[in-house]
Amino acid sequence: MLKFIAKRLLFLPLVMLGVTMLLFGALQFLSPAMRASLYIHDPRQLSALNEVIQKYGLNKPMPVQYWIWLKQVLHGNLGYSETAKMPVSDAIRAFFPATFELTLVSFIPILFFGIYFGTLSAVKKDKLLDQITRIVAITGYSLPSFVLGLFLLMIFYGHFQIFPPGRYSLDVDLLVHSASFHHYTGLLTLDALLNGDFAAALDIFSHMVLPAITLIYISVALLLRITRSSMLEELGKDYVRTARAKGLPESVVIKKHARRNALIPVVTLSSLLFIGLLSGVVITETIFDFPGIGRWSVIAAQQLDVPGVMGSTLLSAFLFVTANMISDILYAFVDPRIRLR
Amino acid sequence: MDRRTRLAFFSALLLTLVSCARKPIEQASFDPSTYTELTFNDSDSMDPAWSYDTASDEVILNVYEPLFMFKGSSTKKLVPLIAAEVPTRDNGLISPDGRTYTIPIRRNVTFQDGTPMTMQDVRYSILRFILQDRDAGPSPLLLEPLTGYAGTRNDKGKNVPGIFKKAEDSVQIHGWNLVLHLPRPFSPLPTILASWAPIVSKKWAAEHGDWNGSKATWKKYNNPEKQTSYFFEHAFGTGPFVLVRWDRNTHEIVLRRNDHYWRTPARLKYVIIKGIDEFETRKLMIEAGQADSIYADREVFEQVQNIPHVQIADDLPTLEINPIVFFTFKINGTANPFIGSGKLDGKGIPLDFFNDVNVRKGFAYAFDYKDYINEVLDGKGIQPTGVVPQGLLGYNPHQQIYSYNPQKAIYYFKKAFGGQVWQKGFKFTAVYNAGNIPRQSLLQVLKHTVEALNPRFNIEVRPMDWPEFLDSYISSKLPIFVLAWQADYPDAYDFVFPMLDSQGAYPGPQHFADPRIDRLIDEAVAETNPAIRKKLYWRIQRLAYEDVPDLPVLQPLDYRTQRDWVKGWVNNPIFPDAPYGCYYYPVYKELPPAQKKRPESAP
Repeated sequence: MLKFIAKRLLFLPLVMLGVTMLLFGALQFLSPAMRASLYIHDPRQLSALNEVIQKYGLNKPMPVQYWIWLKQVLHGNLGYSETAKMPVSDAIRAFFPATFELTLVSFIPILFFGIYFGTLSAVKKDKLLDQITRIVAITGYSLPSFVLGLFLLMIFYGHFQIFPPGRYSLDVDLLVHSASFHHYTGLLTLDALLNGDFAAALDIFSHMVLPAITLIYISVALLLRITRSSMLEELGKDYVRTARAKGLPESVVIKKHARRNALIPVVTLSSLLFIGLLSGVVITETIFDFPGIGRWSVIAAQQLDVPGVMGSTLLSAFLFVTANMISDILYAFVDPRIRLR
Repeated sequence: MDRRTRLAFFSALLLTLVSCARKPIEQASFDPSTYTELTFNDSDSMDPAWSYDTASDEVILNVYEPLFMFKGSSTKKLVPLIAAEVPTRDNGLISPDGRTYTIPIRRNVTFQDGTPMTMQDVRYSILRFILQDRDAGPSPLLLEPLTGYAGTRNDKGKNVPGIFKKAEDSVQIHGWNLVLHLPRPFSPLPTILASWAPIVSKKWAAEHGDWNGSKATWKKYNNPEKQTSYFFEHAFGTGPFVLVRWDRNTHEIVLRRNDHYWRTPARLKYVIIKGIDEFETRKLMIEAGQADSIYADREVFEQVQNIPHVQIADDLPTLEINPIVFFTFKINGTANPFIGSGKLDGKGIPLDFFNDVNVRKGFAYAFDYKDYINEVLDGKGIQPTGVVPQGLLGYNPHQQIYSYNPQKAIYYFKKAFGGQVWQKGFKFTAVYNAGNIPRQSLLQVLKHTVEALNPRFNIEVRPMDWPEFLDSYISSKLPIFVLAWQADYPDAYDFVFPMLDSQGAYPGPQHFADPRIDRLIDEAVAETNPAIRKKLYWRIQRLAYEDVPDLPVLQPLDYRTQRDWVKGWVNNPIFPDAPYGCYYYPVYKELPPAQKKRPESAP
C-alpha cells in the first residue's frame, strides 16, 4: 500500500509540470496585448499599453516566460495574482478553506442521500419512493444552479429573511478579524467553536445553508441515479439470488452483499464529485457571494491572470491526483478482490 | 440504517437548520452608526500614487485629503481643504504669467493618530505622486503640468535625465506656503490638485519601507510592483475615516471614523464597502436593509423601483461621454478579419476608407441619435455637442451637432471616393466590448440605418472580449469601435486631449491628426483667462465637428439606489464611482418619521 502511495505521489510533480506546460503554451496563443488586458482596465490607461507589455515581459518568447515562472515556483513563489490582489499562495490559502468547508458541509449529505435513497430506490423499484427519487434526480440534474440558487435566495432570504448570503454577518466579521479570534484550522465554523463562540459558529453555518442545499440538490441527482442502476444490476445477479435462496434476511442481502458491490462505481463518481466541489463551484459561489476558490479561478481565467490561472490549475491537478489515489485505496476496502500492487 | 438511527439523523438535520434559521445578527435593529455600500467593482490598491480605478479612489477620497475639495455638487467651485485658500488670479496666489502657484496650507491638520501634518508631508506627497509614475497610472496627470514631461521614463524604459531635479524644483515650500513652479501655464492645475495627490505622511511612509523623499533612492520607487509598497493595503491619512481592513478574500473594505479628525468627526462610525458580483444578491440585501446603497445600472432600473424604503435618485449628471464611435483613418490590413476583401468592391473596405471625410460624415448623418437615446436609453442622457461634456467650461450649447438625416447621409456617401462607395457598396465589421448592451444597441441602430440607405451597404456587428478588443484596437485593425471617456478631473482639457490631440489615447491608434487642433489644445490649456479658454475649446470642437474623427453619442444621466434612511448624501459627478460611490463625511442615517414609531423598525 505504502509503495502504491509513494508511486502516486512521485507521479504528482510530473502531472503538474505537464499541465502547466500545456496551459502556458495555450496562453501564448494570445497576443501580448491581449495578455496585457489584465493591467489595462480602463480606456484612460490605453496609451500605456506598450509600456505594460514591456514591463511584464509579455513579448518575450514563450520558453523564456515559462522558465521565469518555473524558476519562481521552484523558489516557492507562485507569483502574484492580479485578480486576487495577493500572492497566489496567499490566494489559495484565503479561498480554499471556504470552499473546503462548503464542500464538507455539502458532500456528507450528498453521499448520504445519494447512496441511501439510491439503494432504497432500487430495492423499491417502480414504487412511489422510486418515482419520487427519479423526479428529484431529473429536476436536480436538469436545473441550472443559478436558477435554483436565486430561487432559494429569494424565498429564504428575500421572503423569510433567513440564511443570508456572504460568509458571515457583520458582528462575526468584526469578531473573526479581531486579535482575540484564533484561526486554528481556517475552517471558520470549526474555528468559531474552538474559540468557544457558538453563536458565531451558528452564524457562519447559517450562511452556508443555502449554497450547500443548492450543491446537494444538484450533485445528489447523479449519485442517486448511479447508485440505483448499479444496485439494480447487482440485485439481478446470481449471487444475490443464491443469498436469498439460502434464506438470508433481506437487509443482509442488500447491505452486506449487493450494496457493497454496487458501491464500486459510486466510489469513483464520489471522488470526482468531491474534486469538482473542491475545485470550486463558480455559479453557486457567485450567487451566494461566497468567497471560494471557484470564483477566483474563473475570474483569473477570464482576465488572463496567468499566475492566478497557473496556481489554481496546480491546485486542481494536485486535488485530482490525490483524490484518484484515495479512491483507488478505497476500492480495496470496498472490494477485497482488488489488491493494490 | 435502522429506524431509530434514521430518526435521529433527520431530527439532528432539522434541528441544525432551525437553529440557523434566524434573522442575521446585523439585521436585528436599525444601526445608524454603520453604512454598508454594495458595489460591483473591486479595489486595486490603497496607494494614492498608484490607484487609477474608481473603487480604490473612493476609499482614498474618504481616508486621505487633497489640497482642495469641490464645493457640494459643483465641479467648478473649489473650497480649501488641506490648503487654507484656493489660489486665483484675483487673490494674487497665481502669478500674472500663470506659472507660479502659491498655496497657503492649514496649520491645524493632523493625521489619523493625532500627529500634526507638516509642510514636508505636503511636498513629499506631491513628489511621491509624480515620481512613482507606474505604467498606466495617474502620475502623468500632475507630472506633465509640473515638469512638462508626460512620463519619468523614455521609450526604452530608462529614467529621463534630470527629471528628479525638475520635479524637486517645481514643488517648493516657503514657510507654510506650498509654491508650485510650472514650466508653462496650466489652467486645470487646481482641479487636478482637488482630485489627485492627497496628503500622506512622509515619516509613516519611510518607517514602513517606502520612499524616504531622497534623491538617492527615488529610482528604486519609480514604476514599482504594486504589492511591494506598504501603501498597497495600508493607509494613514488626514481624512474623516481610517482604513481598518481591506479584505481581498471577501471583497470587503471597512472604514472607521477618524476620531482624531481635525474637523468635527464624521457622524457615521463605520463604512463598509463590499463587492458583490451578483445584482440579485445586492438587491435582496438592500431590500432586507442589510445594505444602505447598492450599485445598480440602467439595465436593471425597473427592478429597483418600488422597493419599500428604497429611494431612487434619478437623472444625476455625469462627467463622461459614453458611448463614442471612433473611426480609424488608416486601418492595419495585416490579417485583418474586420475589413472583408480589403478593397472597395462591395465585399470589403480599403484601408483608408475612413480617411475620406465624406464617409465619416455619411455615417454621422446616418445615425438616429434621438431614437437611440429615447428608445434604447429611455431618454436618460443628452447628445453631446462635442467631446466636452455639459457642466464643464468649454461646453458649447450652440455648437452644431449631427442629427439623423438620411438625405444628407446619401449625399455624402455619393461624394465619397468619387462616387464609388455609393456604386459598389461596402462591407466591414464593427465591434463593441462584449456584455455592453447600450454599445451593442448603438451599433445595431447604426447598422440598421446605414444599410437602409443602400442595399450594397453591409455592416456586421460583433461583440469582443476586452483582451481581444485591446489587441485589435492597439494594432489599428478596427474600422469602427465604440468606447467612452470619463473625467480624471473636471476640465475640458481632460476630454479634448485624449480624444482629439494627435498624442492622445484614441487618435494614436486611429491615426488621426489635425495640427490646427493640436495647436489650439496647447493654447487653451495654457490660457488662464476663462473667457478666452472657453472660446478656444469652442473652436477646437468646431474643427472636430468638421473633421468628424469620432461621434460623441451620449452624455448619460445616472441614478442612485439607497435606503430612505440615508441622509446628507451629495452627488458630485467628479467623485470616484459617483453616484454609487460616496464621500461619506456629510452622510448619516436617520429613520424617516413613519418608521421611527415602530419599535423594531428595521425591515
